[in-house]
Amino acid sequence: MNYASLIESLKKYDFSFFIAAFAIFFIGIINLYSATHASESLAMSNLYKIQLMWFAISLSVAIGVSFIRMKNLFSYSYFIYGFNIILLILVLVLGKKGMGAQRWLVLGALRVQPSELMKISVILALAKWFSRRHLIGELGLKELILPAMIAIFPALLIIAEPDLGTGLLILLIFSMIAFYRRLKWKTMAIIAIIVLASGSVMYKFGLKDYQRRRIVTFLNPGDDARGSGYNAIQSKIAIGSGQFLGKGFKKSSQASLQYLPENHTDFIFSIFNEEHGFFGSIVLICLYFILFYRFIWLSTSVTRVYDSVVTMGLMSIFFWHTFINMGMVMGLMPIVGLPLPFMSYGGSSLMTFMVCCGIATSISNSRNLF
Amino acid sequence: MFGEEDIVKAHKHRADLINNLVLIAFAIIVARLWYLQVYKGEAFRRYSYENRLRKDPIMAPRGMIFSRNNQLIVHNTPRFDARIIPQYLDKDKSKKKQTISRLAKILNINQKEIENKLRKEGRGQARYIPIVIKKNLSRKEVAIIETEGSLMPGVDVNDFISREYTDEYIGAHLLGYISKVFKNEIKKFQKGKSELEFIGRAGVEKEFDDKLRGESGFEYVEVDAFGRKHRSISNDNLLVGIKNKLQEPGNNIRLTIDRDLQIAAFKALEGKVGSIVAIDVNNGEILSMVSRPSYNPSNFSRQLTSEYWQSLVQDKNNPLRDRAIQEHYAPGSTFKTFTAIAALEEGLIDEKTEIHCPGYFRLGRRKFHCWKKWGHGKVDIYKAISESCDVFFYKIGVKLGIDVLAKYARLFGFGSRTGISLPRETRGLIPTKEWKKKKNGREWQLGETLSCVIGQSYVLVTPLQLTLAYAAIANGGTLLKPRIIKEIFSNSGEIIKKNKLEITADNILKSDISRIIKKGLFRVTNTPKGTAWWYRGWGINMAGKTGTSQVIRLSSDKIFSRCEDAEYRFRHHGIFAAYAPADDPKIAVGVVIEHGCHGSSAAAPVASAVIAKYMDKYYPERRKKFIQEDRRMMAKFRAAREKAKAKAEAKAKAEAKAKAEAKAKNDSANKIKPN
Repeated sequence: MNYASLIESLKKYDFSFFIAAFAIFFIGIINLYSATHASESLAMSNLYKIQLMWFAISLSVAIGVSFIRMKNLFSYSYFIYGFNIILLILVLVLGKKGMGAQRWLVLGALRVQPSELMKISVILALAKWFSRRHLIGELGLKELILPAMIAIFPALLIIAEPDLGTGLLILLIFSMIAFYRRLKWKTMAIIAIIVLASGSVMYKFGLKDYQRRRIVTFLNPGDDARGSGYNAIQSKIAIGSGQFLGKGFKKSSQASLQYLPENHTDFIFSIFNEEHGFFGSIVLICLYFILFYRFIWLSTSVTRVYDSVVTMGLMSIFFWHTFINMGMVMGLMPIVGLPLPFMSYGGSSLMTFMVCCGIATSISNSRNLF
Repeated sequence: MFGEEDIVKAHKHRADLINNLVLIAFAIIVARLWYLQVYKGEAFRRYSYENRLRKDPIMAPRGMIFSRNNQLIVHNTPRFDARIIPQYLDKDKSKKKQTISRLAKILNINQKEIENKLRKEGRGQARYIPIVIKKNLSRKEVAIIETEGSLMPGVDVNDFISREYTDEYIGAHLLGYISKVFKNEIKKFQKGKSELEFIGRAGVEKEFDDKLRGESGFEYVEVDAFGRKHRSISNDNLLVGIKNKLQEPGNNIRLTIDRDLQIAAFKALEGKVGSIVAIDVNNGEILSMVSRPSYNPSNFSRQLTSEYWQSLVQDKNNPLRDRAIQEHYAPGSTFKTFTAIAALEEGLIDEKTEIHCPGYFRLGRRKFHCWKKWGHGKVDIYKAISESCDVFFYKIGVKLGIDVLAKYARLFGFGSRTGISLPRETRGLIPTKEWKKKKNGREWQLGETLSCVIGQSYVLVTPLQLTLAYAAIANGGTLLKPRIIKEIFSNSGEIIKKNKLEITADNILKSDISRIIKKGLFRVTNTPKGTAWWYRGWGINMAGKTGTSQVIRLSSDKIFSRCEDAEYRFRHHGIFAAYAPADDPKIAVGVVIEHGCHGSSAAAPVASAVIAKYMDKYYPERRKKFIQEDRRMMAKFRAAREKAKAKAEAKAKAEAKAKAEAKAKNDSANKIKPN
């Protein structure tokens, strides 16, 4: 590849995803610093440095991913999926306990969270299935059985870890892909009824105690203000006390005085709201929307069904994370441990989101290759 | 057929729907944010501040108590307690357990003990109320807890001021003690908004509680979610405009009590059950007031274990009772002084009146015995007092009548409270005919008068009353109100209240009668036949009266049996009241020794020990003089005794000789008269 062609390919390279990601991450890292700087423990107050390191690593991985040809990804889709399933089973068998749940797989010095990777793997597998040539018109129940299996099996494995949030997320991703892939409205109605019915049965028998408590708490947080409703109330106080312009950078009292647990991961949005208020949140939400819109635009700008479905799947990862996390911290939804993309602390999730951007970039680039 | 591109294009509609879904989702979020941050923002802002501000009371240090010589006898010392605030304990059970086991290790106590405490004391009370795990931490324990505090959410150290009594058991009854106020009492004792933690429960601590207490303040502190104080002051202006209130320390008290006298009195009562009161006869200041057995008041504010409390409550001798003012006794012969005063004032007898004592007094069919089986013979007022002749007083008592006697007894303060600034003073009893009629509807019997004139049966006095009455004799007829407080002064030294001399009754004794009585009392201790001669001490120069308080009525066959042979609880109380020096009285002392049998052997030495200490301290020159005088007197006494002995021997010899001569005479006479 000579110099001119490098320039040429750089010109065709779609930086938009990385730019949007970086913009949000920039706000995120500043916010993370603010949330943790007052902590008594050195490990906490140095968290932002680790997050920066993770960003550097995941950015380089994502750039690497952006050069992977979609054709290759297509052909390895099932393989990646299968490999990921094996990892999930391994986690269940010999996973390391963290936060009362088995989510990690320790490979030497590396801690891998296969459920994170599964979010992408399941999209790839679903996209491959949905891009079969005979699926032209709207889809019915019959065409949905196998892809549903593809999604439900890993979802169950993840729920068994137990990580209800990510498990449900896989199902939500699947449902959005199915919707996008032109599922009949009638079929959707039937599925909705089935899900609601089984959901209520699940609530009664399938949930762990603390999970059920979270749902009860969500419905009535004042019930146990110091117990399981604590996070929900403190989070709302944090957000509300930000008012229109916020208390200002590094001035969150809820976080610095440790009223809000997990304020650097799941509840980072509360701190952001406390410090930057309504105005700051509007800016952040606009950035997210720009990112999402870019995905949605890309999904119909490609020529291959596989690419289109993958793009929309990736969008759904971002969308569900963002929506659920925001809804949860402001008391619209029960508390489920899902991180806010590029804002929450956490190497695994950051890697996932960056890789998503890398795949999207690759798809966008391949659009211009012809 | 469609190309693949067309299939993709067919999804445009669904993509638009998804786009709308995203927009709707964000719209919901923004609406919610508006509601929380703009619509309700102000309330949440306020709440977030209240969340982190805690109003901590600052307890006011309680006033200190000094002796009359400015020695510190009650003061405050910082102490540390380890506490757990259940609300801030980790929700996670294993983490909570970790905290508890860590704390148990530091405090060197059992983990189970902490858990039990949490369960027991935490029951039924709000979770934010701290539960004390261990009291009186060492500095080392405090330091470890403070440094490991972040690893033990919910654990904190409470520093507070503990009440300490320098001499512990000595004078405990007078000083009293403080203890935690109970929840249901707070309203009763609280004054204004001042926080209340401890209140005085007995003695000076109770009586002057509102003076000693002070007023608590408060401060706002920034705390984190675990209730730990945040050290770094936040850089926003949260604490501006919030006013803290400084605490106002309680006032200090200077007592009239002399600490050295207290210690001497306490020592003198060692191993005895009883009390002593010593007062300044010229101004009514109580110099010493000790009751035994005693308790350690420091234990009440420090760490009152239930074992200690039980031991106090179950002790038959009731160490919590102040025997000097809360217990009354039949005064026994010490009361005869007042019978004599009544008779003299009424003109029934004078200095020269002599009454014959055959050892008993017959009233109707009943015989009233004198303590001396064979009687005192001819008795005048001096001999009657110094040798404590019962018959003398029976005879004048019959003429006097109980009501007249009661009038004079009341004049000397008997039968009513002295008004000392101490709680739960009892008033004793001086019976009258009317009183008895009211009490049990029966007529007064003359025989009862006979018991009363010698201070038995119904007559009841407290040691304090007795001492004050003798002080009134000593100072020539002024009954003073007893005082224990010299002055109350603020922490800055400003005098808030100065206790002034108060007179209960003036001129209650005519000067010539006073002279007679004083002379009689002087003879008790200073003539060989006086009842306290052998127990008068050395160089004391006191005048006083012994007394024996009958615990039970004795049947006639037991009247003259040895008291020490009786069962402990049936033994008489020994009583002694005195003042010194006899010619220029300064101090009056009253002593009651429960079941001590005799006023002379049990009580008098206690009184003389305290008087000796007093004289040594305040009048050392006179004390020296008295000792010399005593030596001289003893020398004289010995000489006289030797002389008497020699005389008696000579007499005996002469008698023997005379007898022998008479015998010889008889023998010879017999010889003359053979048939």
